[in-house]
Amino acid sequence: MSANTAVAEKYRNNFLKEIEEQVEMGDWVKMCMQCGVCSGSCPTNFQSAWEHPPQELFMMIRAGKREEVLTSSSMWNCTSCYNCIVRCPRKLPITHIMHGIAEYAHRLGMAPKMQPTRFFSGLFWKNCTNTGRVNELKLSMGLYFKDGFVQGIKNGMAMQAVALGLVKAKRLNVMELFSGHKCKDQKGIQAMLKKAYEIERSRKAAKMAG
Amino acid sequence: MADIKVAAYICKGCGLGERLDTDALVKVAQKDGKVPLAKSHDFLCNAEGVAMIRNDIANEGVTHIMIGACSRRAKTEAFYFPENAVARANLREGVIWIRPDTDEARETTQEMAEDYIRMGCAEVKAMTAPGGNPVTGSSKTLLVVGGGVTGMTTAIEASKTGYPVVLVEKTGALGGWASKLYKRVPVHEPYKSPADTGVGELVSQVLGDSNIKVYLNATIAKTDGAPGRFIVDIATESGATHTEDIGAIVQASGFTLYDMNKLPELGGGKSPNVVDQAGLEALAIAAAAGDGVIRRPSDGQPVKSVVFVQCAGQRDPTGTHLAYCSGYCCNTSIKQAMYFKDANPAVDTTIIYTDLRTPGNGEDFYRSAQEKGVNFTKGKVVEVVPNGATSTVKFHDLILGDTSAAMADVDLVVLATGQVPNSGVNIEVPAAPAEAGTVEVKPISILNLTYRQGPDVPQLKQGFTDSHFICFPYETRRTGIYTAGPVRRPMDIAQAREDATGAALKAIQALENAELGRAAHPRSGDLSFPKVRLEGCTQCKRCTVECPFGAIDEDEKRFPVVNESRCRRCGTCMGACPVRVISFENYSINTVGAQIKAVDIPDEFAEKPRILILACENDAYPALDMAGMNRIEYSAYVRTIPIRCLGSLNTIWITDALNAGYDGVMLMGCKSGDEYQCHFVKGSELGRTRLSKIDDTLKTLNLESERVRDLEVAITDIKRLPEMINKYAAELVAVGPSPFKGF
Amino acid sequence: MTEHVATNETILVVGGGISGMTAALEAAETGKNVVLVEKNPALGGRTSQLYRYFPKLCHPTCGLEINLRRLKGNPRVRLLTLAEVTGIEGDTGNYTATIKIHPRYVNENCTACGECERAVEMMVDDPFNYNLSQHKAAYLPNAMAYPQRYVLDPAIIGTADADRAKTACKYGAVDLDMQEETIQVKAGAVVWATGWQPYDAAKIQPYGYGRFKNVITSVEFERLADLQGPTGGRILRPSDGKEAKNIAFIQCAGSRDENHLRHCSRICCMASLKQTHYVREKYPEDGKSTIYYIDIRAIDRFEDFYQKVQADPSVSFIKSKVAKITEDEHGNPVCHGVDTEGYKRYTTPHDLVVLAVGMEPSVKGINIPGHIVADSSGFIEADPANGAVFGAGCASNALDVNRAVQSATAAALRAIQVVNKVAKAEA
Repeated sequence: MSANTAVAEKYRNNFLKEIEEQVEMGDWVKMCMQCGVCSGSCPTNFQSAWEHPPQELFMMIRAGKREEVLTSSSMWNCTSCYNCIVRCPRKLPITHIMHGIAEYAHRLGMAPKMQPTRFFSGLFWKNCTNTGRVNELKLSMGLYFKDGFVQGIKNGMAMQAVALGLVKAKRLNVMELFSGHKCKDQKGIQAMLKKAYEIERSRKAAKMAG
Repeated sequence: MADIKVAAYICKGCGLGERLDTDALVKVAQKDGKVPLAKSHDFLCNAEGVAMIRNDIANEGVTHIMIGACSRRAKTEAFYFPENAVARANLREGVIWIRPDTDEARETTQEMAEDYIRMGCAEVKAMTAPGGNPVTGSSKTLLVVGGGVTGMTTAIEASKTGYPVVLVEKTGALGGWASKLYKRVPVHEPYKSPADTGVGELVSQVLGDSNIKVYLNATIAKTDGAPGRFIVDIATESGATHTEDIGAIVQASGFTLYDMNKLPELGGGKSPNVVDQAGLEALAIAAAAGDGVIRRPSDGQPVKSVVFVQCAGQRDPTGTHLAYCSGYCCNTSIKQAMYFKDANPAVDTTIIYTDLRTPGNGEDFYRSAQEKGVNFTKGKVVEVVPNGATSTVKFHDLILGDTSAAMADVDLVVLATGQVPNSGVNIEVPAAPAEAGTVEVKPISILNLTYRQGPDVPQLKQGFTDSHFICFPYETRRTGIYTAGPVRRPMDIAQAREDATGAALKAIQALENAELGRAAHPRSGDLSFPKVRLEGCTQCKRCTVECPFGAIDEDEKRFPVVNESRCRRCGTCMGACPVRVISFENYSINTVGAQIKAVDIPDEFAEKPRILILACENDAYPALDMAGMNRIEYSAYVRTIPIRCLGSLNTIWITDALNAGYDGVMLMGCKSGDEYQCHFVKGSELGRTRLSKIDDTLKTLNLESERVRDLEVAITDIKRLPEMINKYAAELVAVGPSPFKGF
Repeated sequence: MTEHVATNETILVVGGGISGMTAALEAAETGKNVVLVEKNPALGGRTSQLYRYFPKLCHPTCGLEINLRRLKGNPRVRLLTLAEVTGIEGDTGNYTATIKIHPRYVNENCTACGECERAVEMMVDDPFNYNLSQHKAAYLPNAMAYPQRYVLDPAIIGTADADRAKTACKYGAVDLDMQEETIQVKAGAVVWATGWQPYDAAKIQPYGYGRFKNVITSVEFERLADLQGPTGGRILRPSDGKEAKNIAFIQCAGSRDENHLRHCSRICCMASLKQTHYVREKYPEDGKSTIYYIDIRAIDRFEDFYQKVQADPSVSFIKSKVAKITEDEHGNPVCHGVDTEGYKRYTTPHDLVVLAVGMEPSVKGINIPGHIVADSSGFIEADPANGAVFGAGCASNALDVNRAVQSATAAALRAIQVVNKVAKAEA
């Protein structure tokens, strides 16, 4: 893409159209009137923790800032509290749009790899779809060691008291590290998931085809 | 003044009987007021009291009534004697309610009341009940100048009301600006898509109405006369002139789009692919006539991307372009973006705005555009750079904080320039002498009035002929001539149609009242009018120059000619006249002067100063009244006379008062200047100009400048006025008594 | 003002605010008989409760004085106060309106001397001040009240206070036996000018109106600034009476919001810009205003006013719809949100928050007799189906005073057209 084409793409509807087609509830993005009530209402947005709050993301989409939007960590911060949806004067389903964009970025492989919520989501998904049950010990250890072995040990040490308490209260079984419990029909679960992926693929293909 | 019989009635109700010696007041009326009939009553405003007065009118031949009771603003239903001359001595709000009920105060309070009785008697004797204007016109025809939506609507609505209309349009066809539109902004639910302009229907209504006479290719060559009897010469293209008798006029001369060639930085005039909103309408009409595709003017290629630049040459604080917002352009750009989106959703349409202004249900229209995929970007366009067939729009994206945002390869740029009113000649700006080598562009008069003060309706600001009054949007400064539509104020079609309907009513009202000799707003219904005693006139022209409504012309010998139905009865002419030959039947130099002279001035050893207050009856007097209602006390030494307007102030009153031994004179008028609050527009300002020369008078009399005090007053100064009065009274004590007492 | 008999050449005007008064007076001054119906005890409506107008900063009572003088001198207007139209029967050119008149308990003998007010003890909320203060149960509605006649609050009837009021009146003006009455009035055309009401701010839950004392509405703020208002024109906080110098104005409080009012109420931007002037007027040294807005809608020539306010260093503009308001330990309302121009988060305490509440038509949800066509916001539309019932002023659209008067003047003509036709048919 030449520099000139890049400018020509800016503020054009191309990226907005892409979002409308590819992202769940993406066709609402154009309805934003930039009042900012979503950005102000977000409880996780303390001290401007988000690089781009929802209303700004919407403007960036309209400005054609594809790369910046899809590689952003911002939409991954959404905790689905629904404050923004309740207050939005244009009734945009902002929470769903955030998840939609995040999912789309993930699908394209553009999402920031080590963004904690994204990492956790992946970990959680793998963890629970593997055996049909969530293995809490593996899940939390996976999360501790996200940023490497040394950091993992440090995180583990920091949470030591909590872990011991859980063990004492029989809420955590160290043996889970080796096998872990499973659901009764593990094969059945896998089959169901396979089918679900298939359905999703065909639905998306249909949507792309118009 | 034959056969007048004056009666004075003094009320004892509302505590007047307890606080005042009303028997003494009756005696004052008889002795000092010299009225043949003086009575007191326990409760004058009740049925029995009013019946007593009515009986005296019927059986005793009473013609002039002096009521000593409450303020002239109170009990108006009870004391309603439209056939008689009536004066009200304000003993309640003006005396007992502003004085403490103490033994020490009793004497000064009584003196105050007695003076008001003397003043009331003197005033009523100097008055006559207005007999009405004998020189009335009775034309019931409306002249509408301009054949656009506003003018056509005015004509249709007036005709529907039963009045004949003459409509003059300068071009060869009716329709105006709106006929050049492809579609208009919707005015009904649902506010979702552009609607038919409705111009065709209006045109056929006008043309099909036998009550409406249309002149095309015609202009107003001359407008002579006054409401009810205008004589208008209409010049047509053929050179023929037609004369019409007209009762009232609605000027609906519309607007011209601000010239985009003045905006080269936005590409105006630099590329055929940069157009104004009119240009886009033309493209849309051309498209509708063809395949529905809006094409690039330069090469006829279909427009794939279009950018609308809002506020182009508007909201400009630097003074280079228009300072105001034209109000309609946001909705228009939204509508025009829909032209593209409705035809082909794939066209990129972007509206770059700083504040999107879609009031009321316009918000639905905005939402609808978003649904259709119109892109809205909050930004400020810095530059439009045409480059071949396309342009680059450079702007500051205010949301993303990007100062060098840009859109390249834009097929078409639409500049939302604003409305410039077609208001004719600005009669208040002296024509500048043409500079050498330049061609002077003289604005062309719309009405060509033969009025002494100039050929067109005075403008308010930025060329608009709007009213300055929020409560009274139709008040132009030319009686019986109303302006409507975008010449009055920037507006869209929906508002213009509403405006036209309102203006039609005002015009009809003006001609009906002109026939009855009744004044127009704000003294609506007043039957008095200025009479000039020409024998005494020195042809100084002050009245003809100062009249805020241009009511007075000059004859060939330069004597003033009052056009009664143009007059608003403010009395500015009367105040301006140095030889005091102008008067109204119920308001004159004498009705006020006699009151001033009727006041009993104690000698300098009595230590009872006298302060004359001349208070504007619209704002200052009600404020003083409400001070009374709130029982706020002020000095017993003031004697207040309401005047119609500070503009009616004749300096002789001040000279008379000072000569009579008053210690000070306070003038209370409304705010003047750019943000004036005077109901007679220039009245308070002219009064103040006159006052500024009072120092010379004071010097001649060898008096201190403190003796005259001008106070700018608002109706809300209920607490402030008593404070100011008391402060002034104290200052006067320091200055010392007037040396003119006892002469 | 007289008691002329209404016929089908009479115009009925419902609502005695600036629009209704204008419609009535313009019609009367064109020679038509008018019956003007007002539900409150005095004329003036909502504009009479404003301290100043934008953009001139002049006082609404000034125009009211002129209108009242026009009315006092015009025998063609018959005025009914404390009256409500409960039904309209008939058709264009031939309507019969049913009007319910509530007892005032004071007759035309009243001289407004105020003795009854001094005699009674009971205090009731003062609606003229949006209940920010109380007045005696025998009261004159306000200093400009017309008719200039006292009113007894119904709460007083049957108490010793009522007898005290009756005894105090020397003129037999207090009539405790007055009953509600229903009358019928004929009319050829009807102008419906019942105005607007401020949107119920308590419904905007995150803003805490009703929970936080120092969050008030723009109409209440007018009363605080008014010299005749409950604080004598001092801007004081409702919670502790402290001077409120740092004031936030929140735009679109209810307007442009699909959860509340979908339309833009048009006046609120200008109203807040105007109110910043009050802050500066009352606290010239250290008054501070912050306007939180989405778009400043200073339409047409009002732009001048906006530019003047922008140039004032004591006023800041933040492009943001405030997300929520909390209250700190000092009772200060704290605004939370994000400035969208460049994404700046704020948590800003103010002394007082003024919600620029939206305009809801008074006719909304009310069954206007005769099945009037209204738009989705409840404003009366111009529709042939309405016959000779014409909306005027804020009953027909979100309008400022100037435009409301314009609309009322137009409505008066439409009504005149109908009664002229009736007159012609009967002649």
